Amino acid sequence: MSPSASTLPGDWIGIALLLLGCAFYGAGTAGLLRFPDVYSRLHALTKADNQGLLLVCAGLAVLARSWRVAALLGVIWLLGLMAAAVSAHLIARHARHSGSRRTSSEERP
Amino acid sequence: MPTESEPTTTLGKRERLVWARQIFVVLVLMWLALAGLEGWPVGLVTALAGAALSAWLATVKPRPVPPLRVPSFALFFVIESMRGGLDVAWRALHPALPIEPQFHRFELRLPEGQPRTLMVSVLSLMPGTLSAELEGGGDVLVVHALTPGAMASVVLLQARIRRLFALPEDPPEARAEPAR
Repeated sequence: MSPSASTLPGDWIGIALLLLGCAFYGAGTAGLLRFPDVYSRLHALTKADNQGLLLVCAGLAVLARSWRVAALLGVIWLLGLMAAAVSAHLIARHARHSGSRRTSSEERP
Repeated sequence: MPTESEPTTTLGKRERLVWARQIFVVLVLMWLALAGLEGWPVGLVTALAGAALSAWLATVKPRPVPPLRVPSFALFFVIESMRGGLDVAWRALHPALPIEPQFHRFELRLPEGQPRTLMVSVLSLMPGTLSAELEGGGDVLVVHALTPGAMASVVLLQARIRRLFALPEDPPEARAEPAR
């Protein structure tokens, strides 16, 4: 962790990862707005946003230049994954129980 | 080989010890990530307490994962979840919105407890699939797929989870059944 004022070459990798992560968050939001039903929207939220979180965490780890911080960011990513996966399942189950079984094509047996 | 899905209501001492060991390892790693070696006696006591509590509260058989099988599953997960993120991002941004959402029922061939929990959670991060609901006492998983082809990841993930938990190879009919 060297607090040098000038930007190191590695920093550009970190910044690129951060920007790419933001692009995935943008795509997740686009899916939330554009997809036709609650289930499809959950796909966009869980997958694209977790990809975004992974890239943002990786970018921050590169910028921080510290294994401790990298490990912490890894824990954050895993907790984010678990929260996203569990909440997506709970929302989908609730949607099915409350009668909104609509998806663009009909249910297959 | 451990026997498959029989609901165990009474767990033996050995099984509770296996639970305690698993939770202890996870909690110690978590402490190391959060605090390093700083205040390790507190961390040790807390991890022991957490392990004891979860061993006491456990209701299903523990399924220990052979540690050597973890890296290959972790790599599989990272690659597949990245594919999943890319796939859904592409579909969300594509002007024509190329999705064909549909539900499928998939009969799980995984024992109760950790393997099933892992399947249901991880499936939502695989390309094009979302675990919507468990039916039939947890034996049937209702999967929401963004495209018909996405169901392939369900079969693939189940096979990888069986391998992770060192369960015997999937019977062949399990591979063919749910596709499409």
